[in-house]
Amino acid sequence: MPRILPQVLKNVLRKPVTVKYPYVRVEPPEGYRGRPVIDKEKCIRCWLCIRACPDRAISVSKETKKPSIWLGRCTFCGECAEVCPTRAIAMTKEFELATYDIQQAKSE
Amino acid sequence: MTFVLPIGPQHPALKEPEFFRFEVKGEEIVDVDIHLGYAHRGIEEALSRRNYKHNIYLSERICGICNVVHTTTYCQAVEQLAGVEPPERAKYIRAIIMELERIHSHLLWLGIAAFQIGFNTLFMLAWRDREYVMDLREMISGSRVHSATNTIGGVRRDVKTEHVPTILRGLEKLERSTKYYINLFGSDRTILARCTNLGVLSKKDAIKFCAVGPLARASDVKTDIRADDPYGAYDALSFNVVIEREGDVLAKGMVRLREILESIRIVRQALKEMPGGPIRTRVGLQMPPNETVERTEAPRGELLYYIRSNGTDTPERVRVRTPTYGNFASMKSMFVGGTVAEIPIVMWGIDPCFGCNDRVTLVDSRTGKTRIVSFDELRRRRK
Amino acid sequence: MMEVVDFVINSLVFPGLLFVSLVGLLYVGIDRKVTGHMQHRIGPPIWQEYLDMGKLLSKEDITPSAAQSFVFNIVPLVSLGAIVAVMLFLPVTSAQPALISVADLIVIIYLLNIPAICVMLGGYSSGSPFGASGAGRYVVQLLSYEFVFILAIIAVVARVGSLSLGTVVVYQAQQGWLVLDWRLLPAAIAALIAAQGKLLRVPFDIPEAESEIVHGALTEYSGPKLAIWRLAYDIETIVVAGLLVALFFGGPTTYVIGGTQIPGVVDFLIKTLAIVLLTTTLRNIMARLRIDQALKFYWSFAALLAIISLVLVLAVP
Repeated sequence: MPRILPQVLKNVLRKPVTVKYPYVRVEPPEGYRGRPVIDKEKCIRCWLCIRACPDRAISVSKETKKPSIWLGRCTFCGECAEVCPTRAIAMTKEFELATYDIQQAKSE
Repeated sequence: MTFVLPIGPQHPALKEPEFFRFEVKGEEIVDVDIHLGYAHRGIEEALSRRNYKHNIYLSERICGICNVVHTTTYCQAVEQLAGVEPPERAKYIRAIIMELERIHSHLLWLGIAAFQIGFNTLFMLAWRDREYVMDLREMISGSRVHSATNTIGGVRRDVKTEHVPTILRGLEKLERSTKYYINLFGSDRTILARCTNLGVLSKKDAIKFCAVGPLARASDVKTDIRADDPYGAYDALSFNVVIEREGDVLAKGMVRLREILESIRIVRQALKEMPGGPIRTRVGLQMPPNETVERTEAPRGELLYYIRSNGTDTPERVRVRTPTYGNFASMKSMFVGGTVAEIPIVMWGIDPCFGCNDRVTLVDSRTGKTRIVSFDELRRRRK
Repeated sequence: MMEVVDFVINSLVFPGLLFVSLVGLLYVGIDRKVTGHMQHRIGPPIWQEYLDMGKLLSKEDITPSAAQSFVFNIVPLVSLGAIVAVMLFLPVTSAQPALISVADLIVIIYLLNIPAICVMLGGYSSGSPFGASGAGRYVVQLLSYEFVFILAIIAVVARVGSLSLGTVVVYQAQQGWLVLDWRLLPAAIAALIAAQGKLLRVPFDIPEAESEIVHGALTEYSGPKLAIWRLAYDIETIVVAGLLVALFFGGPTTYVIGGTQIPGVVDFLIKTLAIVLLTTTLRNIMARLRIDQALKFYWSFAALLAIISLVLVLAVP
């Protein structure tokens, strides 16, 4: 008799392990590296984040002289958040970043 | 009469694009030709254009499944260039994350191997249990796959004390299910019918073709960089090198499954013996001109990094030799004489990772045309 | 005149195309749902097959330029027609099938082979190496399961003494189910194994092994033609199950519970669903065999079971 049979029959009676994702959400753990957000009040324009970023995702806007992160390039390594002297950049738990609007793909 | 059966670049048996040209006579394979290069991304060139720190994240993306072992090897090589030693605690954290990665890689292997032989239930169950280890990795490093934990001179994140009980609980579950899979994989009649005595790599061939990793260990070759040339914390950790004698697909699977148990042991041991103290030392990015070679045991076998520095903050040359590349040579001796039905499972027996592998390009100096060299062509050119 | 109308209704509405495709799609949907639960996941909803069918029918129709288009285009329809025709010979509501012939079991055996031959023709004419490879495997598989299937049927015929399926059902109504007859139990097991191969389910899904030869003979099919193939396959599921029910499990029986008469079709549906669920369980606990192993298994173990049964029926009155 196949060895997996008891397991298979047990699975029919058990609740499926699948999480019905868009309806049921599992909170990411503490310290998750999701969308980086920039607190512009705290930014002191030292541009350390730009140097730390491995894929040049951070740029500075000409008018406001504040950094913004283009999420299309961001690899979510968290180097910018680590290097920021005033903790102006923070990694959030947000991970659903797909969008049709290119302006939405920026973290400012 | 032989006819050519193309497997790839797009084929459900392959998870990544690669082209295999099988010459078959009826169902029997008489020859195999491997065309590499469909996933060539120019990473080595890109590595020599970024500074040492940025390269960590690029080397992490050479392979998704074994990303930690890539960054660990890279960081260890750069640490050697800079002449610094990471703190003890960092070494242990690296070992923990690398072993968790090995567990997840081997469970992934089991799932896809089951899919290749048409055992979808085992596929789903193995991947269900893989989620435990993914959750642990997410908790420790902040992301399911790309851990981004390693940095030059240590690690960026500590394993927190409140995480230890959760990790141990997760390992408990993994151990239970791994033992179940070992039992199942070694005793189910249909699995045995599909996996024994096929794709056999004899010990002689394994040595001749320089097979590495679980592939070599399944053919009774005791090779494991963790034991042969200990790096990081592996000096202080005790574990067994798992070997099997038969060299067939079943032995390859058994080696991997039993290695999961060893990895669980290593993680437990590392969590218990982990010393306190700092987790990183600061390293300047200006490396003196020098060259270094560093090798580690990735889930698939020996991973080798060669770095040459030239006094600036960017390396002059980085060469990566991934385990799959080392194992391609032994492919022909495993395939020839088998049948078409064996192709997927035998191919998956070496746990190929083509994303890691494609870095051979040939530039014709007269026409300036770039093209990818096939395995056969390379052999012909050498003559 | 009435006969013609009857025939048209029989073949197109009940128990023909409409009824059997609705039920067949539903059963395969249930099969997929139960498979999901057996693998500890949710699985698609049970009406997923209808949605898939709608999706495929609304897609573009592509014939590869390397294909022999006449054969390539015609075989799905031939296959569907043949498999719906079998339904007319199966006893669905009572012991009497919609079409009565003297030796309908022989007709059924022939008709059940037509879809298999159509799959092979489709594979060979598609001009794809995967199609040819899948068709080649199908030939071997047909040779392996068909022998066992026919032997099992012959055992039943020898026991009942008639080649008419209606007579088999009537006989079971009087003498009890044939599967409970110890002489025919091995034949019933052999027929179930053969059905597993006929329906291309694990461990005998070798001709369409997705990880080896993509989708076997049907690799090049897409859109409406693939939809017809899927429909034919889904109908084949219920037809084979229905044949097994009629041969071994008493066929459709009418019961009277609490004064109300429950029609035989309910019994038919319950019994076929049970057979489908049995094959679902079987396909979820095994790995796929290789084609040579399947051939060996059928010609040694399964054929042995059927022959034992046949010998017992002939030797022990």
